[in-house]
Amino acid sequence: MRLSVAAAISHGRVHRRLGLGPRSRLDLLRNLVTALVRHERIEAPWARADEMRGYAERLIDYAKLGDTNEQAMRMANFWLTEKDLIHKLFKVLAPRFQPHPGKYTRLLQIPNRDSLDRAKMAVIELKGNPYPPLIRPRCDSEKTLLNQLLKGYREDIQRATAPRAPEGTAV
Amino acid sequence: MAVLVVFSSPLSRLRGLLQRCWGRLERGLLPVFSGPRSLPWGPALAVQAPAFLPEPVEDASQSNEVPSFLDSILWMAAPKKRRTIEVNRCRRRNPSKLIKVKRNIDVCLECGHLKQKHVLCGYCYAKVKAETRQIRLEMRKKEGGPFNAPTVETVVLYDGEQPTEKDEGKQIIERARKRPSWFIQN
Repeated sequence: MRLSVAAAISHGRVHRRLGLGPRSRLDLLRNLVTALVRHERIEAPWARADEMRGYAERLIDYAKLGDTNEQAMRMANFWLTEKDLIHKLFKVLAPRFQPHPGKYTRLLQIPNRDSLDRAKMAVIELKGNPYPPLIRPRCDSEKTLLNQLLKGYREDIQRATAPRAPEGTAV
Repeated sequence: MAVLVVFSSPLSRLRGLLQRCWGRLERGLLPVFSGPRSLPWGPALAVQAPAFLPEPVEDASQSNEVPSFLDSILWMAAPKKRRTIEVNRCRRRNPSKLIKVKRNIDVCLECGHLKQKHVLCGYCYAKVKAETRQIRLEMRKKEGGPFNAPTVETVVLYDGEQPTEKDEGKQIIERARKRPSWFIQN
């Protein structure tokens, strides 16, 4: 028998509540999507960026259908409040992501905001943007030339010093 | 909401209490509410009581009890005993109350500053952010006014760099400085 009020407990609820209400949440996300399409790399609170990511990727999927598609044009018209970005979406972003099947955005966490609220912030960017990369993939492995040369040098040193020790201990 | 008061004490205590309240009312010592609800002679509190009150037989038993204003029907929760320092220590030093030690702090391999494992390095991110801002200023100068988003891809070239055949058809943004080591040309 449930003794606690269901409305006051939110265990396991997955949907986020942003802004002042459902309409306000959609307006917030719409502003963020517009900013992402304009600037291709934005900083935002992590929850908002995470929420917006799905909408942005679906918008690009719609854009891939082509600008003659009525549904795609209606979606772009709703989600992009600045109408010059509709041109950018269909002419720049759709061809850029045509070969990719999905996952057009990258979401990375950055240090907490400096103001009093210390909010968890994230930077969300479209892949293939012209700016400097945020993470440099490090390719250090055993098989690189430098590491193989160092390994050979280390083995040479060991072979040079090792024969002397067993002779000493055997006698 | 009416307050239901349950009297489990014997009847004499109830009778004494009600008599004291009534006596105070008659003497005008109880607070009289001035307003639409002012009833100087009506009961201020509705209390569950038997229909009739037995006649007061003797007052000697009641004179032993000191009549006090603090003899109120509403009671508040209060601690019974002082919490000892041992109990206080157990509560204050319980692991759930102590600040957790973070073990996910690493050194950034690029710059040597500290960073959390799942978070970008603050110094490196600030560097990239400053350079991005400079690139965006150049782009704004090229666009001229507001709402002039370019309809072609963009490429950033530094001092002494020429566009390759891959960069055909792209808008070129010139930056008047040497290419930083962490911005690899694709």
